[in-house]
Amino acid sequence: MHNPSVMSFSVEPLNAETVVIRVGKALDFRNAAEFKAICQEQVQNGVRNFILDFSETGILDSTGLGAIFSLYRQVSPRNGQVVFASVSRPVQVVVQLTRTYKVFRQFPTVEAAQEALQQT
Amino acid sequence: MMKEVRYRFNNLEDLIDRVHALFARPDVGLPLPPEDEDLRYRVQLTVHEWLANLVQHARFGNRLPSIELTIRCNGREVECFIDDNSEGFDLNGRLETNPSIQEAFPERGMGLHFIRACTKKLNYIRLKDGRHRLIFTMAKDEDPWLDIPF
Repeated sequence: MHNPSVMSFSVEPLNAETVVIRVGKALDFRNAAEFKAICQEQVQNGVRNFILDFSETGILDSTGLGAIFSLYRQVSPRNGQVVFASVSRPVQVVVQLTRTYKVFRQFPTVEAAQEALQQT
Repeated sequence: MMKEVRYRFNNLEDLIDRVHALFARPDVGLPLPPEDEDLRYRVQLTVHEWLANLVQHARFGNRLPSIELTIRCNGREVECFIDDNSEGFDLNGRLETNPSIQEAFPERGMGLHFIRACTKKLNYIRLKDGRHRLIFTMAKDEDPWLDIPF
């Protein structure tokens, strides 16, 4: 289900294997399919590390989290990572509820996430 | 002292945006404890998950959809009602037959589990006028947890 009121995602390549995805206002049932399609395209192009920037995100729902799980399932067999950066409070509530901090490392900024990924 | 607000919506297209706008605007004065920001976001998440369920799955026949959101707070506990005029949903049956998440990293089917995990009391009833009502409560200083196999 696409909803034009939910802004699209922006993708910023950092190198051949790593991209930053600016999640924007929402990742939910209205735009999760778009998120998955964008991620799928990146994975097909050889990207295996994803930094998800949640600094502007007010809504992360169960379908949005499912889309992130889908991405994780794709990149983990390739030794890829999905990490969270600049996690907003509404997103942190979902992370805390689901204990997904056990799977997705969190960093205070995109730059800190990038630095950590370069060291692994 | 119990404070209460009630809003009615008729358009499923912009329902989600309009409800989130209520939570985003401090001047609306939703009766939620200001000192517990996480409780506010859990209420918002639970309302969102149920409305998402309505938008995606509810059948309204030839009726104009009518969704009514009521939020009450006594300072410590929040109680919400979400009334709708759809044909209804077997929430209790779904929760009984699907009591926990079995699949690791599931892509779908977590919404009702989110709702159950976030809420202290949860009920879904048919009203005398034929509408359906989701009722849930949450309290301050809770740290709910949804078990997802990783």
